[in-house]
Amino acid sequence: MIGALLYLRLTSLKNLVLSRVRRLRQPKYLVGALVGAVYFYFVVFQRAVHAGRLPAAGTRHPAVLPADLLPTLVTLGALVLLVIATLSWILPDGRAGLTFTEAEIAFLFPAPVRRRTLIYYKLVNSQFAILFTAALITLLTGSWSFLGGSALYHLLGWWLILATLNLHFMGASFVITRLMDNGITPWRRRLIILGLIVLVAGVMLAWLGRDLRAPTAPGTDLATFQSTSAYLRALAGRVNAVLASGPLPWLLLPAKLVLGPFFAPNGPAFLSALGPALLVFAAHLLWVVRFEVSFEDASIAKSEKRAARVAAVREGNWRAARGALKARPGPFRLASTGRPELAFLWKNLLSTFPVFRPRTLAIGAVLIIAGYRWVARDPDYRDFLPAFTVVAFITAGYTLFLGPQLARQDLRSDLGNSDILKTYPLHGWQVVLGEMLTPIAILSGVLWLALLTLLLAFHPQSLTWLTAPVRFTLAAGLVPVLPLVCALQLLVPNAAALLFPAWVQTMRNRSERGIEVVGQRIIFLAGQLLVVALALLPAALGAGLLIFATQWLIGPVAAIAFASVAVLVILAAEVGCGLWWLGQRFEAFDLSAELRP
Amino acid sequence: MIEVSGLSKRYGDFTAVRDLSFTVGPGEVLGLVGPNGAGKTTSLRCLAGIIPATAGTCRIAGHDITADPVAAKRALAFFPDEPRLFDYLTVRQHLAFVARIYGVGDHEALAEPLLVELEIADKADQLPGELSRGMKQKLAIACGLLHSPQVMFFDEPLTGLDPLGIRRMKDSILKRAHAGAAIVLSSHLLHLLEEVCSHVLILKKGEKIADGTLADVSARFSKGEANVSLEEIFLRATGDSET
Repeated sequence: MIGALLYLRLTSLKNLVLSRVRRLRQPKYLVGALVGAVYFYFVVFQRAVHAGRLPAAGTRHPAVLPADLLPTLVTLGALVLLVIATLSWILPDGRAGLTFTEAEIAFLFPAPVRRRTLIYYKLVNSQFAILFTAALITLLTGSWSFLGGSALYHLLGWWLILATLNLHFMGASFVITRLMDNGITPWRRRLIILGLIVLVAGVMLAWLGRDLRAPTAPGTDLATFQSTSAYLRALAGRVNAVLASGPLPWLLLPAKLVLGPFFAPNGPAFLSALGPALLVFAAHLLWVVRFEVSFEDASIAKSEKRAARVAAVREGNWRAARGALKARPGPFRLASTGRPELAFLWKNLLSTFPVFRPRTLAIGAVLIIAGYRWVARDPDYRDFLPAFTVVAFITAGYTLFLGPQLARQDLRSDLGNSDILKTYPLHGWQVVLGEMLTPIAILSGVLWLALLTLLLAFHPQSLTWLTAPVRFTLAAGLVPVLPLVCALQLLVPNAAALLFPAWVQTMRNRSERGIEVVGQRIIFLAGQLLVVALALLPAALGAGLLIFATQWLIGPVAAIAFASVAVLVILAAEVGCGLWWLGQRFEAFDLSAELRP
Repeated sequence: MIEVSGLSKRYGDFTAVRDLSFTVGPGEVLGLVGPNGAGKTTSLRCLAGIIPATAGTCRIAGHDITADPVAAKRALAFFPDEPRLFDYLTVRQHLAFVARIYGVGDHEALAEPLLVELEIADKADQLPGELSRGMKQKLAIACGLLHSPQVMFFDEPLTGLDPLGIRRMKDSILKRAHAGAAIVLSSHLLHLLEEVCSHVLILKKGEKIADGTLADVSARFSKGEANVSLEEIFLRATGDSET
């Protein structure tokens, strides 16, 4: 039977790869794949390989980490694993449920397959994902060369750690289910475990109290150290002393064994650490496959939740993807009559995090002003003001460039409902504007807060022309301009959603993975930046010329105000044209035609 | 109330609906029937202004759906087979949203009896995710009825409803028809159409095979027999009857 299940897995994998390769015949995927491949090559592989961060298996790095610090690192790593494992006994509040797809449940659960076979299948199945994750982590942590060893040891080490943790989670969930079957509620179980933790901590403290009464050796007072390395050594000594006290070494032993291969500096050390680590792994495996507990009901519920979550993510509905939705009051009172576009703002604000409310903006502004006043008043803290401006500039930059990709509470997440939206007695541009209002409001709010910070904190001495009146005029001019800039930015991905719905991953039942999807996103981001740069050019040129031509006559403040109005008019005209055009596209949009092969 | 003339819809080389013409007057209920792939849903989506027709005209309450879509849509309601709801709006919030879109003043006064009629008043503060499929269908219908449309298009409206829900839905449709609404109803449940519809239109491969009152269509395909069911008429009209 396991052969049939493996056939299912391997055939699915083969077909997945083949379908991915086949769809490269479509230009949109081929171009995406090429761009994605170039991105991965230059950003991940080339940097890692050329920097010597990914040496071939067997070659050794010069170990930068002092050998006497390694045991401390291993112990700390083991402590982290112990904490994670402990949490797996505390946090779950439901029965054990293995993660199967809905199709696997439909075919495998009624099939004449033994329960243990299903677990083996699940375990084998999960190894693909674990190995991929291990490879990814190894690649991304290639810079941890101070640990010594090689990429292969790290890859296998990560796999052992993740696979053992996976088994531990599964085993813990089985035991928790058994406890629930025996009438032990989640809260009672948590109390018992927390009691045990308190007991161990108490023993530890008693042990430490006895040890720490010993006089401190001369020169080990941490505050007196000047050299970092000496400080680290002394700190490691203290940590080692604490972690070697009482029952903790025994508790940490299995985790330390699992970590052994990862921290092995060379081949022989790796091989000698591999045996004990595999023993821990095998013990976990035996525990999981021999523990008789019913997981079917919870697995079905879990797969349904997972399918709903995946569907929500594919629709861009991140709030729904986080779990069960909860009803909550509207962001503001929606009157029955008035501009219908505001109804979309109201609706889409409900679809996102409750933090995006007008009062949050007001609180943020008050906090920024209070924080600035507090820092600026004290000469000791005034040096931190440049940090404020750096944070504000970074926030504004990210919001402007990446914000439109992240705030997707617009047509991109509502395109699946286009049938209903199109029955509304509204012009296309009204629907598009209404849908875009929420991301515009969110991004503008963030940008306004960054602007406020810059207004208060950014007044470098070198820019003598940036006087207080000029700063205030610039800020006042930018307040109405920023929402228009956001609108311009958002027109691009919304246009893409209407023009290339198959490209934009908004449709139901569309795969969202793969190097080609990464490439497509890069193309869209580049396209968005290019279009916006071109759209901003007339406004920027117009403003520059106006300021240059008029400041001699009416002064810089009036010239900036004058230019701001011009920018506002140009951008409003551009956004208006964009909305009208997109509205036309929306009215002609036929989802059924887009989805026809 | 609904005047359709020469309506066609093409997708590339494929013609989904060809030269469809019919009218539905106030108080009439037209049953749209046909085998799978006959073009029923495509026709309804064209009539409701969801997708543009390739050719032909459609007037809703006197307004051309292509030339004056906003006025036409203000007079109509479309009920898809699968209720399309917003995951994060409660039942009451759905109605508030729709009221604002259609400019229904004092919508609470209209919404409450509607929720009672559709038996979802006790679910008013629940999200769609907490509702059964039938309840979702009722919510979608409540949203469509809130602005008292003169024209209604139902695409398989009874899917997911329990027997009592089906009975209530039939009563609700007839109540709106008696109040003067023009209704087009697409369904495979032919016995339902017999009970509710005053007229019937049979589609096959995008083309109209027959239309008229139930008696007219029955007379055309009955071969002189008495009391021929709509199911039998349908099978004979679409060429799938073995008799």
